[in-house]
Amino acid sequence: MAKSPLSTYGLEKTGSLASRREGFFARFSKHPATPFLIPAVIYLFALTIYPFLYSVGASLFNLSLTSPKPPSFVGLANYKTLLSDGLFYTGLANIGIITVSSVILEFIIGFSIAHLFIAISDIRASHLLRTIYILPMMVTPVVVGLMWSYILDPLFGIANYILGVFGVPPQPWFSSPNTALWSIVFINVWQWSPFLMLICMTALMSIPNDMYEAAQIDGAKWYHIVTRIELPMIRNTVLVGVIFRIIDNFRLFDIVFATTRGGPGRSTEIISLYAYRQIFQYFNAGYGSAAAVIIFIIATIIATFAVKFLPKEAIHA
Amino acid sequence: MRKVDIKRRLLFLLAAVITLLNIAPLLWVALSSFKTRIEIFSTPPVWIPERWQVQNYIDLFQVNVPYLINSLIVTLVSTAGVLLLSVPAAFGLTAFTFPKKHDLEMWFLSGRMMPPVAAAIPFYLTLRQIKLIDTQAGLILLYVGVGIPLAVWLIASFMRSIHPAIYEAAKIDGCKWDQIFFRIAIPLSSGGIATATIFITIFAWNELLLPLFLTDRFAKTFPVVLTSFQGQTEIAWELMCAGATIQVLPIVILTLFVQKYIVSGLTGGAVK
Repeated sequence: MAKSPLSTYGLEKTGSLASRREGFFARFSKHPATPFLIPAVIYLFALTIYPFLYSVGASLFNLSLTSPKPPSFVGLANYKTLLSDGLFYTGLANIGIITVSSVILEFIIGFSIAHLFIAISDIRASHLLRTIYILPMMVTPVVVGLMWSYILDPLFGIANYILGVFGVPPQPWFSSPNTALWSIVFINVWQWSPFLMLICMTALMSIPNDMYEAAQIDGAKWYHIVTRIELPMIRNTVLVGVIFRIIDNFRLFDIVFATTRGGPGRSTEIISLYAYRQIFQYFNAGYGSAAAVIIFIIATIIATFAVKFLPKEAIHA
Repeated sequence: MRKVDIKRRLLFLLAAVITLLNIAPLLWVALSSFKTRIEIFSTPPVWIPERWQVQNYIDLFQVNVPYLINSLIVTLVSTAGVLLLSVPAAFGLTAFTFPKKHDLEMWFLSGRMMPPVAAAIPFYLTLRQIKLIDTQAGLILLYVGVGIPLAVWLIASFMRSIHPAIYEAAKIDGCKWDQIFFRIAIPLSSGGIATATIFITIFAWNELLLPLFLTDRFAKTFPVVLTSFQGQTEIAWELMCAGATIQVLPIVILTLFVQKYIVSGLTGGAVK
């Protein structure tokens, strides 16, 4: 914990005495942090708490955006309908599948590529190469979705053509319920492996060299080094990255919207699309609000767990 | 010695090939944006367009300049707004001690965990009430709120590395807190502020969900336009490719120019 300069009260007094011209900031001499924090706090408060309360309220009404009838109070009926709708659970389950498989694949790929970039890190051009490698994660998510639906088009897409050259039969990708979800996992992994690569790379580079040397002297094989030295040493750092990825996957919307919009059938349905449709296609603001509240509650639970697991240094970086 | 050298060169070659494969999809889309529709749909595929024609870009610009301007205005103004609120907040969280400070930090951070869809529905209802639906102002208002948590977190992680003794010395010299903030904290954390600026800009430029929900005709941003090529019975891939290139090119240029900030921003919080 950093010792604050304020803890020395004598200094604070001298400071305020020295300021003869009473400025705006001097008015807060008892709580000097206030003027710096208050604007952002009020802004965030207004932007999160008010809409949240509003949607809790709206979720208790039969509120339609198109019907001229005044909204009628329905109590918890919206929640009851929601929690008995199989599609909502499909949306949750799909998010689970996407999250778990993406994060595992991203870690394996990221960890391997990180080793590769470390091995060549003393070659100057490798830094530029690394920057180019991480470009996918900066690309607009909706472009990622559109781009891959162009490349993975079952009829004329370049991917099936290239597979054909190697004798692999054409794949249906987004157009079959059996492959659509995995295609989404695939493009998700394409976009975010570079993130875990960067995380793994910085973590691996902070392992002291003598640990490797000691292991070598003891005759350790490469898999011993990975499992006994590297994985335990980078665990905390990687965990932070993984938690961010879990949270981001829970917020997933753009790439599914741009590729399948939940189809074919309900094979790629996710909860954010579900809520989107309720409001902007069926104009059920009340029902959609209930979905939003449930999503918010689940996200809060995940976030609370995340914060518990996050090593403290990660937050107080 | 030489053996090691050859091995390293081979590894470099491998890394180069993997990198190229990784961005090949982006290159393919950029290449396709110069093709005619016939070239796009032909099998076997036309790799390099026969004639590099810019008709797709002309078609695109004829209709979409207002939406690109929307994107630009909303991105720039909201980034400025985020910084205006976040830099002082990060200073407030790092330079002082006060009760419940940890809770406040967590509250800032938790904003990043909120799924946008859970916020977008209430935002929509709220903006409708205050008549800011389909306006740039409405979008900016919300983008600022979405950006604050990440910006505060990033900037605070840099400001924490400023040694408290520096502030203390300035106090002894008679500096007031606003002077310490402007003359010491901001210059010393300029790297963090730059990193935050880059990320907030890119995220605002990339944002789809909020403008999709909250705009219709006037304040529509370019990412929303991109989704509309799909809506028709036939997908105008050649236009989509050109649009995607326009959307992504500024990000690629920015990323290449400021690469050191991007790496520190992405890993800074996780590693330090």
